[in-house]
Amino acid sequence: MKDKLGIVLGIGIAAAVIVTLAFFILNAGHLELNEILPIVIVVILVVSTFYILWDRIKNIKKGLPAQDERLKITNYKACYYGFIASIWSAVGAPLLSGILFDHELQGSHVTAVVVLCGGLAFMISYLYLAHKGD
Amino acid sequence: MRRISIYDILSLLGPQRGLRMKTRIKELRARYDLTQEDLARKIGVRRETILFIEKGKYNPSLKLAHDIAKALQTTIDELFIFEED
Repeated sequence: MKDKLGIVLGIGIAAAVIVTLAFFILNAGHLELNEILPIVIVVILVVSTFYILWDRIKNIKKGLPAQDERLKITNYKACYYGFIASIWSAVGAPLLSGILFDHELQGSHVTAVVVLCGGLAFMISYLYLAHKGD
Repeated sequence: MRRISIYDILSLLGPQRGLRMKTRIKELRARYDLTQEDLARKIGVRRETILFIEKGKYNPSLKLAHDIAKALQTTIDELFIFEED
């Protein structure tokens, strides 16, 4: 029951992200390269989320648990890497932006960088660790 | 108290010796005519977990090791073999 609720919630959140993204793209008109990159990262995150959810649904259908002790450990490890990436991106993004482009990042942009970097680090490490074994 | 020698420090820099885990899960599964999925369903884990344990890529918890041993009607000692590298 808890697994099924998690899957339904996951699908709901991913669908909400897709709808928001679609509205943004439709109303944005011409998009610059620096606006396309975050959209690509969000699309990667959504596709990866759907892959993980599909994998869990497949296991539940076979009568196997959606998550076992190995995947829980994988989840904890991926959360740790995502957390580290978030912290370093919060420190590094304003610094790099200042040094490389001589541009001061706004607070909302730093928040976006932190969320995207953390999310991407979590997703990459989760998928890598889940396929590597430990 | 034992003094630390230069050899102790150098041994830390060299290739690490460790234990390699081998399992007899595959052999015992074949004996009881169980697939990885059957065994996974019996002990309540995913099939990939059984696969990674068999390959020695994942060290199961003591509880999971006990559950696997019980499902294959053996003991943890007989199921998991540790060899020095």
